[in-house]
Amino acid sequence: MRRFFAAALCAVLACGLAACSQGGEQSADFYAMDTTMNVTAYGKGAKNAVGEAQTEVDRLESLLSRTRTDSVISQLNAGTANRAVGMEVWDLLSAAEKYSIATNGAFDITIAPVVSAWGFTTDHYQVPDQSELDELLANVGSVHIHLGEESIVTLDDGTQIDLGGIAKGYASDCVEAILAKDGVESAKVALGGNIYVRGSKPDGTAWRVGVQDPENSDGFVGILSLTDAFAVTSGGYQRYFEQNGKRYHHIIDPATGYPAESGLTSVTVVAPGNEEETISDPGHGTMCDAFSTALFVMGEKKAVEFWRSGGYDFQMVLVTQDGRVLVTDGLKDKFEQEDGSGYAYETISRSPS
Amino acid sequence: MPMKRSPEVRPKPADALVALAVLLLAAALALSAWGGGRSGGLTAVISVNGQVTETVNLSRLSGPEVRELNANGYTLHVRLSPDGAEVIDSTCPNQVCVHTGHISRAGQSIVCLPARISVTLSGGAEDGVDAVLG
Amino acid sequence: MKLTTKQLTLCAVLTALALALSYVENFLPLSLAVPLPGVKLGLANIVTVFALYALGIGQAFLILIARCTLGALFAGNLNALLFSLLGGLSAMAIMALLSRSKCLSVYGVSIGGAAAHNCGQVAAAVLTLGNTAPLYYLPLLLGVSLFTGALTGFAAGLLFRALEHTSLMKA
Repeated sequence: MRRFFAAALCAVLACGLAACSQGGEQSADFYAMDTTMNVTAYGKGAKNAVGEAQTEVDRLESLLSRTRTDSVISQLNAGTANRAVGMEVWDLLSAAEKYSIATNGAFDITIAPVVSAWGFTTDHYQVPDQSELDELLANVGSVHIHLGEESIVTLDDGTQIDLGGIAKGYASDCVEAILAKDGVESAKVALGGNIYVRGSKPDGTAWRVGVQDPENSDGFVGILSLTDAFAVTSGGYQRYFEQNGKRYHHIIDPATGYPAESGLTSVTVVAPGNEEETISDPGHGTMCDAFSTALFVMGEKKAVEFWRSGGYDFQMVLVTQDGRVLVTDGLKDKFEQEDGSGYAYETISRSPS
Repeated sequence: MPMKRSPEVRPKPADALVALAVLLLAAALALSAWGGGRSGGLTAVISVNGQVTETVNLSRLSGPEVRELNANGYTLHVRLSPDGAEVIDSTCPNQVCVHTGHISRAGQSIVCLPARISVTLSGGAEDGVDAVLG
Repeated sequence: MKLTTKQLTLCAVLTALALALSYVENFLPLSLAVPLPGVKLGLANIVTVFALYALGIGQAFLILIARCTLGALFAGNLNALLFSLLGGLSAMAIMALLSRSKCLSVYGVSIGGAAAHNCGQVAAAVLTLGNTAPLYYLPLLLGVSLFTGALTGFAAGLLFRALEHTSLMKA
């Protein structure tokens, strides 16, 4: 009998131990980088991590925002003289250049003045003249950014940069580092449309992340079951304006200066969580953010070629204008098709069939 | 060591009682947790400036209701109904909230950034997700 | 509670069996047929119900604790410990009660155990999340437990019948 009680006591203590390690759910909702953000973490370290994450995002916004006049980026844009931007920004610009080259310019942080010409920065929309666009396009291209020694960066005259297409991705990498540092094993982070999930949910199942159907606001094209992964979606179906019956969305093709007409309605890029951070290789969050925009601009054929080239470790979901959903084979087991969505689902394999 | 007891390995009539008890428990839970609503307790959480201002149990609504939300100088009209929510109109400059359209799944949300107003669906339905991409 | 060497060995073997069953379960994902979080066959309950009858509640309890702790350690996920402990303990408590009744077969006991297991896991989810959202799944999980309970009852029945006349079950 005594042994029974001893065993019972052990069980209660074990439950207590398990419960302590729960710590419950800690969550923060806030606005930053021109979007809504949510950081939810579980277990010990959650409380610290959530607070630190919010502080970190605010810090990055002050550093990188194009609209804050005192940010490093704004100062860089304001003057063309050589400027020391600090290692963090220099590394990020270096990554942006790498992605720009890898995607043949489909991803380009110098597209900023063109995006502004369309009015997407100020929300006062207009269709720019072709001559205005031609003039602005002359200053677009990663060749106009010069990365020098000791974090010095020089921009050519007329070139302006906007890190909007990569900042949230980079922020998600930074938040991941904080979660790792604080020993959080289960968390869900949504920085605008940039999702990062850490571990699995507290009940041990994978995080379920829905991929919005561009044509139907009520529905998803499918649901991803993810653990330890970054996921970012780009699409032109929410941020756009209409003029003379034509719709103009906010993802500008750097080659034409016009909203990209690539035959895709949305692109979702998925990559595993960061294992180690190396200076020359930015985090996967940054990569997903950059690639989701780039692949949307590139269109189906080039996107599939790019993925097949195997240079970068990611998976993707492409939704096409002609009603197909293409999923790379690495996601096959993690992608739950949505019945009744009306799409034709296809798997993209590594070698062309 | 002899077996302490040996159970009956063939099903017995009383087993049905256990099954019935489980079913009744399930039914009772279903009634209370699902609120008798069609979508099973779908709830809309309205937040302004990051703070929750109202939680509406959509499954308890008898019909569509339009809420006027004012914040940060902008006015939105949100229609709430048992099957979801949508922004009918807004005075904000980018109209993303209106373009988002009608949402009906737990995890989906409509956000008006200029006004800092968000309407997020949560609760009930078993096809809900933890986050939405896009 | 004194254990003979034979009993101790049997407990250890059963613990290993329960762990193996929990592991194998992952390859038979019930969630493909029934899309509910936390839905599973609950095969480890076969061991629990067997131990309850064959060894008594004390040893069944030991096996349960050992199985849950080791399972969580092997999975590297201590969070899961709360779920499996609450589920397993609830199942065992109900099954211990039900097994006293002479009117019930192993089927009734197992169904009760499966239902209790689900209740325990949902309780763990509620504690973890700090809200009552997991309760929405419980009615459906309970419905599924009728089938998984019958299944584990059937399997346990096979086990009892097979071992009935072996030396394992004699002094």
